[in-house]
Formats: sequence, structure tokens, C-alpha cells
Amino acid sequence: MSTEEQDAVFVSLVQSSWKRYNEMYYNARMDDMLIGGVIAATVEGGYSLIDLNSNGRDHNLRFEDFKTRDRLIFQLTHLSEDLMTAKVLGRHARVKIGYGQVINNVGAIWQALKSEFKSAFMDSHEPGIITVDADVAAGYIYAQVGLIFELDQYFANKSIDYALMQRHILGTVAALKKYLVGRMGK
Amino acid sequence: MFSLLSNFQHSKEVRESKDEVLVGEIVRAMARLQYVAIGFVADMGLQSVRFRPLAPDSVLNSVLLQLDRKTGGNALQEAVLGNKAVLTFQAEVKNFLADPDDLVKMYRTDLQNIFKIPMLGDVRLNHQLNSVFATKKVVVDIDTYIFKGEPGVEKLMGLLTTHIGDLMGKLAGYKKK
Repeated sequence: MSTEEQDAVFVSLVQSSWKRYNEMYYNARMDDMLIGGVIAATVEGGYSLIDLNSNGRDHNLRFEDFKTRDRLIFQLTHLSEDLMTAKVLGRHARVKIGYGQVINNVGAIWQALKSEFKSAFMDSHEPGIITVDADVAAGYIYAQVGLIFELDQYFANKSIDYALMQRHILGTVAALKKYLVGRMGK
Repeated sequence: MFSLLSNFQHSKEVRESKDEVLVGEIVRAMARLQYVAIGFVADMGLQSVRFRPLAPDSVLNSVLLQLDRKTGGNALQEAVLGNKAVLTFQAEVKNFLADPDDLVKMYRTDLQNIFKIPMLGDVRLNHQLNSVFATKKVVVDIDTYIFKGEPGVEKLMGLLTTHIGDLMGKLAGYKKK
């Protein structure tokens, strides 16, 4: 092989390595991209981010609408961190969403949580099961649900469809609000 | 027992969360400026977010924004000093050269700079392997950009555009085609 041909072989190897590396890089960053997408979509929906923490796998976000004092909580867990899983099953994440309202009557909290007491506050991983929980110290009662989001519908060409994400989040919040109001007997 | 709620610190006052509120606004503003968040690091009073530009022909490979809250930790401090933070901007240019002749040329050019960390005004340049980083810090008043509605968002977008644009200008010459 001539020098030019050998250089061309090396360049081709580097370029194909970059292509594979970028694929792995973006899949590994998918949970951070999901966090950024949820933050941007929820802030555009009128909420402010007030809390952000993580244990490396489960990422927890809390938002407040400072006009109504309603709060939203999220727990985001990327379920397709492995590239093979992502390619075979598609990229997806477990998303727990909670909607909270201020409540001053502690007696009403215990009344509303009766069925949760019976289930020993089981943290169900089944999607669509709405449970009620209370942050007594802050004076909030929450309705929360777990879902599995298909991430490929939001992420294409490494950009994010914020409008679609916002529709899905606010649609879920509306359902939780309706349920909570019904449970509280308002 | 309360599994999801136990992940959050209870009774956190609004005042303590103002830096997180600004981080949320920054993520929203950068989304409008066509940057995608690709990394988060959050500690008490210090939050970092790394973004990647969506434009395929962008000079920059990534931008890191770090918010370090300096004042406003308690009510007295907030009343006297306000809520001040240092916002650090770090822009990165990455070169994807593969041809061995170009790699040698880049090495010889950059070797002259490898141990220098020059200051270009308030911008610091740093060469690391195939990346060049430009960093600058600005002091911001958090209350200028939060709870101000759309005018606050536009003001924040203006701040981000100005400083990222400044760093992009300093780095443009280091992007090898």
C-alpha cells in the first residue's frame, strides 16, 4: 500500500469509530436529555424548577407554580441505558409524575389516604395506578402515577420535540388533578 | 413509606430554591436558543449543565454553564446583599482530524500553546487534547431573571447569547476544517 492509501485506511477507521462512539455517547446521555426536556417543557408550561437531585439512576425533579402554589414532582429513570436494549426494544424511561395541592386540613389528609394505608403505601410499578401521598411538613397532598415513556417519539436527530413532551406532561397533570379533587371530595 | 416524596427536602423555602429556579429558566432559555442539555451536576448552591448546539455546522461542540450561588442563603443576607451568583460559561471547540499529516500539524501548533493559559480580556483559553476551551465568569443578580415573565426570559436569552457569542468569536479560529 502507498502512504496515501495507508492514511486513507486510518482516516476511515477513525471516522467509523467516531460514528459508533457518538451512538453510544448519545444513548448514555439520554437520561440527561430527558431531564432537560422535562425541565424546558414544564417551565414553558408555567412552572418553576425548585428542586433537582439524583442517585445516579433515579432523577428527581420538583416544580411549583408560584401563582397557584400547585406543585409537580417527577422521578425519571432511563430503562434502556444499554445500547443493545435501546436498539432492540427502543429507548424508553419510567416516568413517575405527581401533582400536589396545598392543604391545610390535616384531618382531610388522613381521610383521603385511607386506601393507601390499607395497601401499606405500596409503591406500585404498574403503570396507570394513581396513588395519593402527603408531604405533611410542607402542607401538600399529591396524586401520583407511574408511566413508561417511549423516548424515540421525543428525540429525533438529537433534538427534542418539546411541544409533544409538554402535551403529554400537562395531559397527565390534568388527569391527576381531576382525580385528587375527586378523592378530596371537592 | 412515602417513597417518591422522601426524595425531596421538606419545607424548602422559596428563597433557598432561587438558584434552582434560575437553572430551570436557563434550561428553558437554552432550549429556545436551540441547545440541548446533555449533562447535569447538582450540588447545594452549585449547579452545572452542559449543552450541545443543535445546528450541525456550529463552531462549538458544547457549552457548560455553571451557577454558583454566593449570597442570599438566609433572609438577612438576602435583604442586605440580594441573591448574587457567579455564572461561569465554558465553550468547547473539538477538532475531529484523522489525517496523520493534519494531526502532526495541529500538535506542532498547539504545543506552543499547551502550557499557556492566555487571558483574552476576561476570557481564558485552554488546550486539552483535541479540544480548546474558552471560559469566562460573570456575576449575576438571580432576581433579575426569575419570576419576571416573558421579559425576564428574553433578558436571560440576551445574556446567554452575548456571552456564548463572545466565546464563540474567540474560539472560531481554532476550529479546523
